[in-house]
Amino acid sequence: MNLRLRSHRNYVLYASLAAAASLAGCATSGVQNPAGSPVVEMRPDERGKVVGTGIESQDLVAVTDKMARKILATPEIASAQTPPRIVLEPVNNETRFTINKDIFLTKIRDQLIEQAAGKVRFLDRAMMATLEREQRLKQQGLVTATADPNVVEFRGADYFLTGSLQSITTRTTQGTSDYVVYAFRLTDARTSEIVWASSAQIKKEGLEDAAYR
Amino acid sequence: MFCCPSRSLSRRAAGGGWLASLLLLTGCVTAPQMPPIVFTGDPVVDGNAQLAAAPAKDRVLWEYRVAAAALRRGQDAEARAKLDAARATVAGLVSSPSAEAAQARGTFRAESDKPFVGEPYERVMANLYRAVLYWRDGEPDNARALMRDAELIDSDTENKTYAGDWVIPDWLDGYASAKLAGDGTDALARARKSSAHPLPDYDPAANVLVLVEYGRGPRKYAAGDQGEQLKFAADTSRAVSARLEVAGQSIALTPWDDVTYQATTRGGRVMDHILGNKAEFKKTTDTVGDVALAGAVIAAQNTRKEVKRTVIGPDGKPRVVTETVRDKGAENAAIGLAVGGLLAKLLAGAAQPAADTRAWENLPQYLSLATLRLPPGEHPATLTFLDAAGQPLPSRTQTFAIAIPAPDENSVAAAAAAPRDTAVFRSELPD
Repeated sequence: MNLRLRSHRNYVLYASLAAAASLAGCATSGVQNPAGSPVVEMRPDERGKVVGTGIESQDLVAVTDKMARKILATPEIASAQTPPRIVLEPVNNETRFTINKDIFLTKIRDQLIEQAAGKVRFLDRAMMATLEREQRLKQQGLVTATADPNVVEFRGADYFLTGSLQSITTRTTQGTSDYVVYAFRLTDARTSEIVWASSAQIKKEGLEDAAYR
Repeated sequence: MFCCPSRSLSRRAAGGGWLASLLLLTGCVTAPQMPPIVFTGDPVVDGNAQLAAAPAKDRVLWEYRVAAAALRRGQDAEARAKLDAARATVAGLVSSPSAEAAQARGTFRAESDKPFVGEPYERVMANLYRAVLYWRDGEPDNARALMRDAELIDSDTENKTYAGDWVIPDWLDGYASAKLAGDGTDALARARKSSAHPLPDYDPAANVLVLVEYGRGPRKYAAGDQGEQLKFAADTSRAVSARLEVAGQSIALTPWDDVTYQATTRGGRVMDHILGNKAEFKKTTDTVGDVALAGAVIAAQNTRKEVKRTVIGPDGKPRVVTETVRDKGAENAAIGLAVGGLLAKLLAGAAQPAADTRAWENLPQYLSLATLRLPPGEHPATLTFLDAAGQPLPSRTQTFAIAIPAPDENSVAAAAAAPRDTAVFRSELPD
């Protein structure tokens, strides 16, 4: 009887093992986190769960904040008699990461406008096509004008603000490392002098899963 | 239940077999059914329908396919959106720990369970297509970024002779620098080193970039005893070069890059070692299962033994009789071996060493590049594909127009805008 009971227990054990093995082996459609993750609101300068070695929002916020504060402290801006007029030129991207070319300068511009309290003015060259069309309509008398539309009132730039993103990438079996330098400069439109320049640097590294190597 | 040992044994064995079959079947029928797709013949529409129905792990694959088809049909916005979505997904997957990728390394999960990102040659092609669109959008530096990333993607080949040896990415990297008043000589030198054909010097004043693709790209298949080896095959392309005639110019388009060559010169992957281990596990457990089941059969044949015994007959005389009795040891051994063998076979059956053969199937084999200067206006152009003997393939000849916009000399906006090249992309492939 004891022998029979022991044998019976063995069968149950073997059957359980077989069931476990077959279920584990065949769970091909098993999904991790099937319900997904709820949307979480984060600060742009916060490092989230989804990260890479590329240029990310926290880098943008850190760099532009630093640059805006430094520009405002530049003597040419801080002690100008009349608010200097600045034109933004697209950033030159020399990294291996694609970027929205306007986002760095737009962010710096917005921070300068907020913090400078009228000490600097920006010329909206992105709107020039629209502004020229409007001017033509005024010149043709198709729309009203509050000033003589034949007089050129588009302002010229006192300074150009631009920058470049440069990087050094290293890849080994240990992972990929990206060192990115964000360099910005303010150039006098009349003399071509660089009246201000500054840079920030960020380094990141990581190693992709073996399934992708 | 225990009164008839041989019957009981066979019943249990049969019961075990049914149980195993049931478990296997119930465990494996959970794959979701794809909703039916009504095909229209338009590769972009059909591709989008398949993308909508595809499991999440195949999204990038379908985004790649749709992007290539959209680019060939001049649907730039669609191609741009699909390539950006795919590249964002890939960047997230390869730079952050992925649970799905980790599971795909497991013995009992297939490599194809991981979200598709593509082999390096596929990711390079996604970068190249997106670079064409950046060039069209007047952002050569972003195109250059993608070309630099492409060479990095190709940098971890097993044989370093083939590392970062794409020609067009290096050439375009330097060309973008030259266009942006930078120095592209290093990149040009790298491109020339990798190229089988002489490459032209940069002409920063050129205002047209031409990228032409032809031939069918590589296909993937699984080789090896357990399908654990990822291999590539390609059909022989009839077109092996091309010629563009426009505005009195005849431009020879030799193949600068061969996508099949790039696919086949990567060497082994880290994942190949993992798949090799899975295959070894499958083979070993399968052999163990065979041996155990054979042992079970032998043991089952010996669960009865004959015993001679002296008994006193009815006549009061002793005599020797032969009795067949159960051999409990052999019976238990038979059951143990059978269950063990079954378990080993189940494990072997559940192991999934097959290589992932999902592929971006509408890629080309050859890529040619040229730059030229054209004055403003619309220029009729003829693109002729040539066979190995240099003879035209008339059925594949394409005629089209290259439009060069005239600059608005009086516009401040036009003067302020960065100069923008015309990027011509032509494909021999229909889809």
